[in-house]
Amino acid sequence: MARQPDAKTTPKFSSDDSALIRELALLLDETSLTEIEIERAGLRVRVARNISIAAGIPANVPLATAAPVAAASPAAAAAAAATADLSKHPGVVPSPMVGTAYWAPEPGAKPFIEVGAKVSAGQTLLIIEAMKTMNQIPSPRAGTVTQILVEDGQPVEFGEPLVIIE
Amino acid sequence: MFDKILIANRGEIALRILRACKELGISTVAVHSTADADAMHVRLADESVCIGPPPSKDSYLNIPALLAACEITGAEAVHPGYGFLSENARFAEILADHNLQFIGPKAEHIRLMGDKIEAKKTAKKLGIPVVPGSDGAVGPDDDAMAIAKAIGFPVLVKAAAGGGGRGMKVAPTEADLALALATAANEAKSAFGDASVYLEKYLAKPRHIEIQVLGDGRGGAIHLGERDCSLQRRHQKVWEEGPSPALDAAARAKIGLTVARAMQQLKYLGVGTVEFLYEDGEFYFIEMNTRIQVEHPVTEMITDIDLVLEQIRIAAGGDLPMTQDEVQIIGHSIECRVNAENPQTFRPSPGQIRQYHPPGGLGVRIDSAVYQGYVIPPFYDSLVGKLIVHGKTRGECLMRLRRALDEMVVDGIETTLPLFRALVREPAIIDGDYHIHWLEQYLSGQQGG
Repeated sequence: MARQPDAKTTPKFSSDDSALIRELALLLDETSLTEIEIERAGLRVRVARNISIAAGIPANVPLATAAPVAAASPAAAAAAAATADLSKHPGVVPSPMVGTAYWAPEPGAKPFIEVGAKVSAGQTLLIIEAMKTMNQIPSPRAGTVTQILVEDGQPVEFGEPLVIIE
Repeated sequence: MFDKILIANRGEIALRILRACKELGISTVAVHSTADADAMHVRLADESVCIGPPPSKDSYLNIPALLAACEITGAEAVHPGYGFLSENARFAEILADHNLQFIGPKAEHIRLMGDKIEAKKTAKKLGIPVVPGSDGAVGPDDDAMAIAKAIGFPVLVKAAAGGGGRGMKVAPTEADLALALATAANEAKSAFGDASVYLEKYLAKPRHIEIQVLGDGRGGAIHLGERDCSLQRRHQKVWEEGPSPALDAAARAKIGLTVARAMQQLKYLGVGTVEFLYEDGEFYFIEMNTRIQVEHPVTEMITDIDLVLEQIRIAAGGDLPMTQDEVQIIGHSIECRVNAENPQTFRPSPGQIRQYHPPGGLGVRIDSAVYQGYVIPPFYDSLVGKLIVHGKTRGECLMRLRRALDEMVVDGIETTLPLFRALVREPAIIDGDYHIHWLEQYLSGQQGG
């Protein structure tokens, strides 16, 4: 499965990538693992049981905004029920408002957080935009970001799980 | 016509609006608080957005959250239902500022009729008969006693910013006036943020008769007959019917025409209801409601016009569905508001509906968002649903209502169904011989007896 991506291409999903994700998702189902993360030059992929698949991209690579993840259908079907489960997760940070969630302060900028980052209480996790006003969403506690549950540019409702901080 | 409408309400009226949208092929967005996540209309809507925690001020009254929900869903229009923001002129204006259509009257008319003193002045100017009164607010510099004497005791002290039966105190004799004024002003200040009060003649045994109107906003307006809503408890309507047992065709035509002409002059847009007290053959304007009302189904049953659908069509620029001559009042209709309350004490009874069986059959309609297993949340009003029946005559209607009430089952919570079962057998109700104090007198008689 080892493959060197062409350094000149911009990172966007190829059919190889979606095949990889499908395989990882199947692996999850077949084993009792809840998440699998692999990294190779230019791409890091994490597949977790409870959420639709999120792709984390290292900071020095431009954010690929079109990331419609090829979620394996079991994961997608479980997403609705799973999000309800996550809303009860002790580390959940729910959305305090309705709007559109963004990972970074502006397009092309570095995201506020990434999975694995350590944050302090009050540190900005995301921006939620509503009617042209940008609202910084602070972390309610110090901890480590273990999951980012929303896509960049995803509409969110009140109470929607945004991030897990443990 | 709109592609997508956001329903800014909850409960039975949200479901009602959703139904009209679906029949027009319009996409629906249901907004809800966390307490209403399992609501029927939320399940049926094309999209839903949770806008806040249970308290109304943080959810259904939360204008920024509603606007954000419009933004993320692409809704082009908002239907406010009744209550909540439906008569909030500022909300209507904010929507307009954001290029969103408010499905309702023009903001200026909401504002005009929201101030009860201005509303009365406007009604008078438009030729609508009004209750004799103080012609404006009664302030500390006015000679309230002289004004009251001119009107004639007993007088009613009313809050200018009140409405819907709230903010009123009776002064039966001269000796009671000072206290009534002070109490009413205090209560008005804390309930509505405005201590302004005015005086009106207190009518002894009037009926509450209201006229439904529909305007196209361009000077066209029709009336759709009346509803008699005299049966009230603490100023809340309990049983409504149309046509009124007290009016004949001539009286109906006369008041209807007066009201329709007034709405034409105003260039009123959308649905509205002009409310009157009626005594000894005379009509007295009390207020106008610039929204769809709870009891709108009564008019729908006797005119065969879908009022919510017409609201949406007219808001999208459509014409009135018919001319005044084409409006027909057919048969009789009665609506009972079934509340989750103890039928004697009226203590609220939220909780889970363990058994639910709505009645059916010819001429029976239920407007309700409950279902078996539904939990009535404690944060909002206690309306379980509206039972509406239609018959060719008032007598047939009463028999049908009796039959439907006996079929209906709502178990697990207390409801006011037993009250309606008693009322439908009560001679005064059967005769249609009642007035706005009748129900409270009946209820205190029941407790005393």
